[in-house]
Amino acid sequence: MSETTLVATARSEFGKGAARRIRRAGNVPAVMYGHGTDPVHITLPGHDTMMALKHANALLAIDLDGTVQLALAKDIQRDPVRPVIEHVDLVIVRKGEKVQVEVPVVTEGEAVGGAVVTVESQTLLLEVEATSIPEHVVVSIEGVELGTQIHASDLTLPEGAVLVDDADTLVVNVAAPVAEDLGGEEAPADEAEAPADES
Amino acid sequence: MLIPRRIKHRKQHHPGRSGASKGGNTIAFGDFGIQALEPAYVTNRQIESARIAMTRYIKRGGKVWINIYPDRPLTKKPAETRMGSGKGSPEWWVANVKPGRVMFELAGVSEPVAREAMRLAMHKLPMKCRFVRREGGDI
Repeated sequence: MSETTLVATARSEFGKGAARRIRRAGNVPAVMYGHGTDPVHITLPGHDTMMALKHANALLAIDLDGTVQLALAKDIQRDPVRPVIEHVDLVIVRKGEKVQVEVPVVTEGEAVGGAVVTVESQTLLLEVEATSIPEHVVVSIEGVELGTQIHASDLTLPEGAVLVDDADTLVVNVAAPVAEDLGGEEAPADEAEAPADES
Repeated sequence: MLIPRRIKHRKQHHPGRSGASKGGNTIAFGDFGIQALEPAYVTNRQIESARIAMTRYIKRGGKVWINIYPDRPLTKKPAETRMGSGKGSPEWWVANVKPGRVMFELAGVSEPVAREAMRLAMHKLPMKCRFVRREGGDI
């Protein structure tokens, strides 16, 4: 994945008042740390940051006063309702450095007819080079039979990636559809509404 | 219908409805979800009704997750009763849902099917909701 350059400015005022002023101006307050350095408080451009962080594990090149540092988003605080990023924690990485990242799992192909494919682990923890983080781990389910369970050890990982998660982790489960209760026969209202016991 | 098996206090205060959801704001299990946009008390009947609307539409195939649980009792005094004489009797079991909460999740079906199933389910819920889907490891 190629890196995205974001031009940052250093922050001199802190607290919720200052953070809200930054957000009102369409920017995102952020903090950058790692490799034993002191945390640096910065402001990132809002729209560019949002677009860059649409990809999981995006590698960012933070340009702060002419000095460019590579960083990964360690924590992203989002508004629970609006599509707004409130704050970003960035961790500094270096070229060639190995990092542990959660990589999303995607399925490819079609299982046998009628099968319910459930991705049990939506992400896998991998150790990869910071500059070549895979966008996703592809799991092929083409023609997979009912009752098949694909574990982390069965996967072909992207080149250079090492699995950190347990090899027995269930990743994809291909099961027969379970007949769901469609509520055809409702329980009598009195019985269903019976108050719970008080201990 | 969802109902707690054992509770510590039969009659409780009304749960607070202010603020936004602190957790459960992203899709955790499935590929698609219903996200609340307003605060509301969702009763166990409404949860069950929404679940049935979804599962009837998707027929066979697909998996549904319910991420909320109606663990708070609400009480009601009988009609035409004078005030006083203590708190009314438990009448409903509700989940206290705040804006941002992903209440239902769905996987194993195509997006158009999920959208329609969740549209039907949203009509059974007492607040404004929206359809959300997983994108790049996040919603």
